Amino acid sequence: MLIEFLQDAFFAAIAAIGFAAISNPPRRAYLYCALIAAAGHSTRFLLMNESLTGMHIVPATSIAALIVGVLAVLFSPLVRTPAETCLFPSLLPMIPGIYAYRTFGGLVMCLYQGHEPGFNHYFYLFASNGLTCLFILLGMVIGATIPIFLLKNISFQATR
Amino acid sequence: MMTKIEQPMAPVTAGIRMTREGETVKKYCLFLSEYAAWLLGAGATCIRLERNVKRMAEAFDHEVVMTIMPRHIHMTVCNRDRSDSYTYITALRTSMISFDINTRLSELSWAVADGRLDFRQAEAEFNRIVKTPQADKRLVLLLASCANASFCRLFGGDLPAMAIVFIATLAGYYLKQVLCEQKVDMRIIFIMCAFVSSVLGATDALFHLGQTPEIAIGTSVLYLVPGIPFLNSFSDMLAGHYICSFSRFMHAMILTGCLSIGLCGGMMMMNIGMF
Repeated sequence: MLIEFLQDAFFAAIAAIGFAAISNPPRRAYLYCALIAAAGHSTRFLLMNESLTGMHIVPATSIAALIVGVLAVLFSPLVRTPAETCLFPSLLPMIPGIYAYRTFGGLVMCLYQGHEPGFNHYFYLFASNGLTCLFILLGMVIGATIPIFLLKNISFQATR
Repeated sequence: MMTKIEQPMAPVTAGIRMTREGETVKKYCLFLSEYAAWLLGAGATCIRLERNVKRMAEAFDHEVVMTIMPRHIHMTVCNRDRSDSYTYITALRTSMISFDINTRLSELSWAVADGRLDFRQAEAEFNRIVKTPQADKRLVLLLASCANASFCRLFGGDLPAMAIVFIATLAGYYLKQVLCEQKVDMRIIFIMCAFVSSVLGATDALFHLGQTPEIAIGTSVLYLVPGIPFLNSFSDMLAGHYICSFSRFMHAMILTGCLSIGLCGGMMMMNIGMF
């Protein structure tokens, strides 16, 4: 499990650096993006692990996003960037891409079905993946943005 | 009976009321509007935009009120005794998200607020910031491709899937950079890039290269997901900027729809089923 945990943290860090590069942050922010993303994603990995808490992906993502948000705000005076600079790229590895893909797939396959059982099956896949995707996104966004508003004095004075 | 209280007025030169630094309200308003337009275009949230602009206006001993529209900023600046005001509407200056510009513009607002820069120095610094060249495109291309391949691994993809996603992203993101340079419509860019990436991502299923073809094709287009507009829209919603929030959300949804069209087209062309 330790190897899987480290792998998860490592690939989340690489993903965060790459997604950060797309949004063109200052160079000093890359390291912090990687650290925060690794901490957030590996926390979610631990929370969802069956041998530990076995938590569902929605609450696990919300808690991990809250941790990412708090770390991004606390690190922002050190990096001297707005908290969002580290927060957004660090969150992106948790975006439920595969759920979104399956939701879209379910919707398209619904349209191709000529009979009710087939339609019902793909509609179930569409609804179940879509709801999971939606609630992951909501939990993620709310969890991550709350620290910015609660710790306003830190998050809006980081560039001073 | 009301008594009119006489307040000390700023000096008047040739019919234009001057402020304490000899600048007109119009100049402050034009500067702050440009600043706000660039900050919003660089991907700042509405609450940050309001705070930064207000901070600078107070340092210039003026008051500012603004409406943040999806593609425009409507701003009024007036002096303390409200004897002079100026209103200006400006359009967004850039559509590329840049946290570097966002950070440096925020630093500029604090430098002005703390009295380290006067108006003319702030103007000069602002002009320097907005002329900052973009990051090395080849480096961004490489990092984005590595990021998407890592993303594939996080979703449980195997090594062949990661390699395919890396190549699919490299091709798709390069196409995006080229089309952006040609100033092609962003929606068309998203459709074309998603199409190219999904066609390349489908090779895993087509040639039976690995055990996770579904993850390869699903992840190959994820570099296009407009994550920052989505996150900004929720942040604006929590701050009570509902119009901007809705507009950003719709923009992100339209881009996601274009991504889906490109993905669907790619899969139909390669005759790959969704499940």
